[in-house]
Amino acid sequence: MTRISLGDASMTNILARQGAALRGQVQDASIEVTTGQHIDLPKALRGDVSPLLAIDATLTRLAAFKTTAADAALHTAAQQAALTGLSSLANGITTTLLGSRDFPTPAQVDAVAAYARGRLESAVGLLNAQVGGRAVFSGTATSTVPLGTSEDMLTALETAATGATTAGQVAAAVVGWFADPAGYGAFYQGGASLTAAPIGPGDTADLSTTALDPAIRDSLQGFALAALLDRGVLSGNAEERGRLAQRAGQELLTGEDARITLAARIGTVEGKIEAARTRNAAEETSLGILRSDLGSVDPYEAATRLETARAQLESLYLVTARVARLSLTEYLR
Amino acid sequence: MSLTFALSSALSGLSATSRQAEVLSSNVANAATPGYARREVGLRSAEIAGVGQGVAVTNILRDVDRQLLAERRLAQSGDGDRALRAGFMTRVEQAMGTPDSTGSLAARLAAFDQALVEGAGRPESQARLQGILNTAGALASGLASASAEIQTARSTADRQIAAEVDKLNSTLARLQEMNGELRSFSSSGRDVSAFLDERQRLIDDIATIIPLREIPRDLNQIALFTKGGAMLLEGSAAVFGFSPTNTVTPEMTQALGGLSGITINGEAYDTAGSASPILGGTLGGLFALRDELAVTAQGKLDATARDLVERFSAAGLDPTLAPGAAGLFTDAGAAFQPGDEIGLAARLRVNPAADPAQGGALYRLRDGLGATSEGPPGNGTVLSALHGALTNPQPLTSTGFTAGVRSFAALIGDLMSDGSSHRLAAEADQSFAAARLTSLSDLEAANGIDTDQEMQALLVIEKNYAANAKVIQTVEEMIDILIRIGA
Repeated sequence: MTRISLGDASMTNILARQGAALRGQVQDASIEVTTGQHIDLPKALRGDVSPLLAIDATLTRLAAFKTTAADAALHTAAQQAALTGLSSLANGITTTLLGSRDFPTPAQVDAVAAYARGRLESAVGLLNAQVGGRAVFSGTATSTVPLGTSEDMLTALETAATGATTAGQVAAAVVGWFADPAGYGAFYQGGASLTAAPIGPGDTADLSTTALDPAIRDSLQGFALAALLDRGVLSGNAEERGRLAQRAGQELLTGEDARITLAARIGTVEGKIEAARTRNAAEETSLGILRSDLGSVDPYEAATRLETARAQLESLYLVTARVARLSLTEYLR
Repeated sequence: MSLTFALSSALSGLSATSRQAEVLSSNVANAATPGYARREVGLRSAEIAGVGQGVAVTNILRDVDRQLLAERRLAQSGDGDRALRAGFMTRVEQAMGTPDSTGSLAARLAAFDQALVEGAGRPESQARLQGILNTAGALASGLASASAEIQTARSTADRQIAAEVDKLNSTLARLQEMNGELRSFSSSGRDVSAFLDERQRLIDDIATIIPLREIPRDLNQIALFTKGGAMLLEGSAAVFGFSPTNTVTPEMTQALGGLSGITINGEAYDTAGSASPILGGTLGGLFALRDELAVTAQGKLDATARDLVERFSAAGLDPTLAPGAAGLFTDAGAAFQPGDEIGLAARLRVNPAADPAQGGALYRLRDGLGATSEGPPGNGTVLSALHGALTNPQPLTSTGFTAGVRSFAALIGDLMSDGSSHRLAAEADQSFAAARLTSLSDLEAANGIDTDQEMQALLVIEKNYAANAKVIQTVEEMIDILIRIGA
């Protein structure tokens, strides 16, 4: 038998299904328009989420490098400031010390010695500086300051120079103490050099400078030679005292080169950190753009889709209303 | 006498049209009843001794397209199967997270990576060491909760199998009873349409569970077979057997023991493979979910967990650890043994030696897990090495993934991509199955009650009734005329 009827449920089902599908489309498109995010991100990426995850992981790691690079920059800046301080302490006293053999009176040597003792204290204070709870010249022992007090150092030096009667003997004893691992090496309270800090993808900053660095050691040695005079070394021998003061001046003068070299080396690290920060920021920006390309909805396309679905849904409502009135029962009344 | 014949013919016409009106009213009333098949009154011309005697109702025709019904039932079971699989795959994908969800495995890994880098940059910071411990714990618990989700799905599937088997058994028993009732009613010639509707509805109910073939027998009897060839109802109903398991763990499988298979009339049958007679519906889908899909998904999680454990317990990474000792990630607190891969993701824990809450100490993250006392606070060597262990490309020891050299992030990326692509494939499959079911259901609905057609028929019935009544009235007048002649 050829069918000439069409069940009521048929039309109802079709209309209901199309209505549900269109309402779903409208909902999805309106969420995508308002949030800018795909409703189903893995579907938009056809199941391969690895590239997007790699970008996200790199972005998170770049955030970590932002922190570590800032830490490293702070560390080197603190070291640089201490070195600058050390140089200006030395520069202010070198000329006076060099001319000390020509001083008319021994009292002037005494005065410059007292001055040098104060400078030694300041120098030790600079090297013991802590930034954010971290002693920057202590190596891995970041919680300990690298040096004891300047007075302790002078006491140790006095012991080392016991019995010395000439400026040359005192100087030799002092140089020997600073070179001796059991002397200055033991006076240093810090640890081994810090390992390089991560500052960027595959990039590290060398933070290895400690108070054991020869440039710092030689500067302290210069100050200490002059400061010893203030502790009464070679007392009574004005000639030798003048000679020792001059020797101290020479030490500080020759140490200047080493300080500048060290400052330059730390400056290079600072430059590297800065370059890494710039590179990280640039990478973050470009990855951010790539992330939006891969993971975000084109707002124009989503808005168009929303508009289309809305128009279709309105047409469907119209059709539903018309079709519902098409019933023979209505006309048989 | 012909006038009397005319009267009785008209009367038979009245009763036939009344019957038609009765059936029509039932059709209209059931216009929206699922499983209701349209009825039609079968008519023939009545005759006695070769002479026309009006109209007789032969039977009530039930208008069913058997071919379409069978097709729709197969589509229904296919849709049930696909919907289950797609649902599970979505669940797995959600458990691992998508790139846009904050708690995804990749996000947890990225946070751990970030914490390690920051820690290596400032090893003396207590807060950063705590951050490493917290993010490592979050990564481990992310894998563990994904694994728990999969095992919950297996437990649920096991319970659902038991429920479906119960439903099958009770429905088949009911169908067997109906066969008996239909035999006695049919042989006594009564209208059995309502019974047939009810039987069709019952079969539709179980058609989602197993794909069925219905074979009609005499006297409105039917036999039921699965598409795979197992007898479900032939005179007597088959009895399915299944014993559910309360808690399913990753180690339990049907092959290795712990989980039940299925029996029909006491005899065990395969639940997978071409020899299994029960595949194609939700029952087969549930078995596949419990025994294959979930096991594969768990295997991939375990392979990932194993890679994580092995990266951090590699020899030489942490000089304070003895060879073979547990690294940062442990198998429930102990060192991982290569034979224990199954279920490792669920047992993954951070080494208690580094966790102050479990009697450990944070400094061990920096100085080595075997360190007995705190070392120099600025020592970042171990932390840098840990970060290296996480990011260095390494070959995979487990067979859960294709072999290759990957960083851990790449492995997590593969794991999540695998989850997403399986979900999308399962969804595509399901939408095909759903579309097929929808189109067949639409065809069935098109064959259903059309009230316009019924109203049209009602007009005809009304007209026929009036005509028959008019005949009676006219015959009465004719008889009256005859009586007046006689008077």
